[in-house]
Amino acid sequence: MDREEQVEKFGQLIQKAVLEDPVKARKILINACRIQQAGSVLPSSKVSPSHRYASRQITATMVDALSSPEKSAMVSIFIPSEPLNVAGITPFSVEALSGFLGGVHAEQVFLDAAEEDGASKTLCSFHRIFHGAMGSGVVPNPKMLIYTNLACDANMTSFPYLINRFKIPSFFVEVPYERSEDAVQHVAGQLREMVTFISDVSGKKITDNMLQEAMQRSHRTSEYYLEHLKYQADHAMKSDIASELYAVFTGHIMMGTKKAETYARRMLSDIKKAKGNDAIRLVWLHMIPFLQPSANKYLSFTDRARIVACDLVYDSMMHIDPTNPYEAMAHRMVYSCYNGDYKLRAQRAQQVAEQTKADGIVVFAHWGCKGTLGASALFKRDFEEAGYPTLILDGDGGDPANCSDGQMATRFGAYLEMLEDRR
Amino acid sequence: MIKYVCKYTPVELFSGFSQECSLLDEVADNFEVSERASHINLCGFGKALMESTLSEDTQELILINCCDTMNRAYDVIDDTKACDFLFMLDLPHQNSDSAAQELGKRLLRLKNEYAASSGIPFDKEAFLNAFAPTAPSESEPYVGILGVRVGKQLEETISSLMPLPVRNLTCVSNREFTCDTKAMADMSEEDMFTAYAVALLSQFPCGRMGMPEIRCKLFDDKNLKGIIYHSIKFCDYYEFEYVGFKRDTTLPILKLETDYTRQSEGQLRTRIQAFAETLSGAADTNQVVAKVPTPANTSYVAGIDSGSASTDVVIMDTAENIISTVIAPTGGGANNSAEQALSDALSKAALSRSDIRVIVKTGYGRDYIADGDDSVTEITCHAAGAHFLSAQARTVIDIGGQDSKVIRIDETGAVQNFVMNDKCAAGTGRFLEMMARALGLTLEQISEIGLDWEEDITISSMCTVFAESEVVSLVAQNKALEDIVHGLNSSVASKVGGLVNRVSPQEGYIMTGGVAKNRGVVKALEDKLETNLYICEHAQLCGAIGAALFALERA
Repeated sequence: MDREEQVEKFGQLIQKAVLEDPVKARKILINACRIQQAGSVLPSSKVSPSHRYASRQITATMVDALSSPEKSAMVSIFIPSEPLNVAGITPFSVEALSGFLGGVHAEQVFLDAAEEDGASKTLCSFHRIFHGAMGSGVVPNPKMLIYTNLACDANMTSFPYLINRFKIPSFFVEVPYERSEDAVQHVAGQLREMVTFISDVSGKKITDNMLQEAMQRSHRTSEYYLEHLKYQADHAMKSDIASELYAVFTGHIMMGTKKAETYARRMLSDIKKAKGNDAIRLVWLHMIPFLQPSANKYLSFTDRARIVACDLVYDSMMHIDPTNPYEAMAHRMVYSCYNGDYKLRAQRAQQVAEQTKADGIVVFAHWGCKGTLGASALFKRDFEEAGYPTLILDGDGGDPANCSDGQMATRFGAYLEMLEDRR
Repeated sequence: MIKYVCKYTPVELFSGFSQECSLLDEVADNFEVSERASHINLCGFGKALMESTLSEDTQELILINCCDTMNRAYDVIDDTKACDFLFMLDLPHQNSDSAAQELGKRLLRLKNEYAASSGIPFDKEAFLNAFAPTAPSESEPYVGILGVRVGKQLEETISSLMPLPVRNLTCVSNREFTCDTKAMADMSEEDMFTAYAVALLSQFPCGRMGMPEIRCKLFDDKNLKGIIYHSIKFCDYYEFEYVGFKRDTTLPILKLETDYTRQSEGQLRTRIQAFAETLSGAADTNQVVAKVPTPANTSYVAGIDSGSASTDVVIMDTAENIISTVIAPTGGGANNSAEQALSDALSKAALSRSDIRVIVKTGYGRDYIADGDDSVTEITCHAAGAHFLSAQARTVIDIGGQDSKVIRIDETGAVQNFVMNDKCAAGTGRFLEMMARALGLTLEQISEIGLDWEEDITISSMCTVFAESEVVSLVAQNKALEDIVHGLNSSVASKVGGLVNRVSPQEGYIMTGGVAKNRGVVKALEDKLETNLYICEHAQLCGAIGAALFALERA
C-alpha cells in the first residue's frame, strides 16, 4: 500500500468514527498528528528541512486545538495572532483546520454534515468543513473566537453562527475598506480592546513588553521571508504542493512565535544553499489546491514547475515598526492586499513576479471566494498587460468534488506547455 | 437620477442636492456581460448589478460594501468608467458609537465629493426636510419574505399565490428610522452627519450586519404566520441565518434559492403554491386531506401527474378504488401527453371522457394541460397519495426524473414540511439516466447490477457532468461495473439522505417516483438511513393518486 492509499484508508477510518463516536474520531486525529510529529510519516526527504519543520509545527497546532480547547482560540486567519501567542493561547484558523482535515482525506463527512445542517454548497468549502467539524463534535469548543471582516465574507457568516450556536466568548475587529493612517488608528484602538478581551477570557496578563517582543519576532520573520524572496528566481528549494501552505499558516496564526521566526530563518538558509533549476516559476494568488491529484502532479517533487510566492504568504510579510505593536498589527490589516479594492493585490503580485522573475501568474479561483473570483478577469488583464501570462484556474481548495480533476489537469498542463514554449 | 442598491444608502443626503434616488433592483435575463467582466460563480444580484450598469446608462451610482461580490462589482464598474459618479460607502458591521463616528466621516466625505463632482451646492435645509416620518405597519396576519432581496417579479408571484397579505422584510426593504432634524439643524456639519449615521445604523439590521440576536425579533410579531426565506446562490450572508431560523421557529417556513434571473419559474411556482396550500390547510382546520366524500351519484374522477419523464393517470371511483392507471412517457408536450394518457386510461377502463366528473392535474406540466378542473402541486398530491398507499407513512421520499423531494406528513396526510433538490440534477432520475448512458447500460440493468458489489467506490462528484467524467475514468481503470454502479447509487443516497435529514424525518418511510423501481438506489438509501423503505406497486403513481383523491373531494 503506497502513502496515498494509506491516507485514503485513514480518511475512511476517521469518517466512519465521526459518524459513530465523534470523541473517538478526535482521539484518532490527535494520535495521528502525534505520530506525524514524531516523524514516522513525515514528508519525504525531497522536501527542504525548513518546510518539514513548518509541517511539524502546524501539526502541533492542530494537536493543541483538538486536545486542549481551554487553551485555544478559533480565529480568522487575518487576525493578528501575536497577543494570543504571548498569552499561551493557540490560535487555529478555519483554513488550517479544514486544510488539515482535507489533508487526511476526511473532509467529505464534514461537508455532508454541514450540508445536512443547511449550509449552502456555494459557501467556501473550508468554512463548510469547519462547520461540519464543529457541529459533529469532533472539534471541541475553543476558549474564545476572534474574527474580522477582512478579506472573506464567509468569516462574517460562519463565525457569528458558531458564536450564537455554541455560546463562545468572541471579539470582532472591523477593518475599514479604505487604506489610510486614520484607518490604522481606528483598528489599533480595536486591537487594544482585543488584547483586554484576550486577557480577561484567558486570565493571562499581556504586557506591552511581551507584545513588543512578539512584534520584534514578527518583524524578523517578515524580514527573513522578504529576503528569501530575492533568491527565489535563481534558487529552487525542494518542495511539494503543501510547502507554501505551511508558510501561509506560520505567517499568520504562528506570527510572533519563536517557531515562526525559526521557520523563516531556516527557509532563508535553505534557499541560499539551494541550486537553481529550469522549473517554470509561478506566482500564485489565493489558496493552493493541494487535494487535487492534477495539481500535485505538476507541483509536488518536480522540476517542471514551482510556486515562488503565494499572495496569502507575502501579504502578511511587511516591513513593520515593532516598537508600536498595536499600530504595526493594525497596519498589517489595513494595508493587507486583501483589503479594499483589487488594485493593491494586483500591484503586489506584479512586484513579486518581477522580483522572482516569474514566468506566469496563476489566479486560483477558489469556489466560494467571491473576493478573488470577482476580480479574476481584471487580474488577468492587468497581469498580461504587464507581460505575465495568467491562468484563471477554477477549482476548490477544500472540496475536490466541486471541480473536475481531468479538466484541471488539462488547463494547468496546457498553461505550463504554453509557458515552456515562451522560454 | 442617482441609483443605489442598499437600504443603508443615505438617500436623504441627495435631497440636499435636489437629486432623486432610485433603487436598482432589476432581475437579469442573463449574465452575459457580467460573467465576461468578472466570473460566473458570484451572487446573482451582484452580476445583475454589473449587467445593468455596464449595459445601460447609469450615470451616478452609490454602492455599499455589503459583501465581497459588491466590492468586486465596484472594481469592475469603476474599471469601465461607466459612471460619471461612483462611490463606495464603507458600512460598518456594528452599531456602536465608534462605528457611527466613522460612518459619519464617510457620509461627510460623500457629500463633499458629490458637491465637487456635480458642481451643485449642498442645501442643508432641503436635506433635513427629506426625512419622512415612518408609517406604522398595519396590524393583520401576514406572510413575511425574509432573507435577501427577491426582485419585484418574484415578490409579485409570491403575493399573488399566498392566502395572506405578504410583507417584504428582505435585506433591502424595511428601511425605517427616525432623525431629530430640529436638533441636527443646530449641529456642526460633522455632528450632523454623525447623527445621520447613528440613525442609519439604528435600522432593523440586514443579515450582513451580523446581529442575529436582533434579527430573531422578527418572530416576536404574532401576526407573522409564515416565512418565505429567500437566498441567492453564492450569497453567503443568509444561509446560516436560515439554518438558525428554521431551528428556532415553529412557524411554517419555505426556503427559496434563486440565481436572480427569471429562470426556474416553474419549480419556484410549485414550491410557493405548495407552501400556500400548507398555510391554507393550517388556517382551515376543517379541511381533511384524502378523505372519502362518497357522493350520491357514483361516478369517476381522474388525477393526472405531468412529470418531466412520464405522464401518469389514475382513474378512481367514488369508493377510492383505482379503476385504471397509465404511465406514459412525456413527449411532444405536456398537453398532448396528458390527452393521450387520459385517453388510454379511459380505454383500459372502458369509460368515456363524460364519465369523469372531475380531473385534478399536478406535476410540472399541470399548468400546460388544457383539460381538467383544478390543479394542485405535486408536493400536496404526493403527501395525499402516500397516505392513501400507506396510512403509516410519515416521511415520503420521491425521486423523479427532474427532481427529488422529501415530504414529512402527519397522520392525516397533510404536509408538515418538505424540501426539494436544487436545480442541479444530482440525486435525480436524470442523473442515473445519464450515468447509465455513460456506462452503456439500460435503466433496468443499472437498477440491478449495483447490488452485487465488492469494492466500495466513492463517486465524489455530485455534479452530473463531473460525475460522468469520473465514471468514464473509473471504467478506464478497469473497475468493475457493479462497483461503479454501487458508487453511483451511494452518491444518490447521500444526496437524498441529506434532504431527508433536513425535514426532521420520522419513521414510516415510503419511497415513490420512478426511481423507487431502482433496487440498487433503494438498498443504498436504506443503508444510508438505516431503515426500511416501503415501496408498493403503485409507487410511481403516487402523485396521480393524490390528484385523483383531490378530485374526489371536488366531485
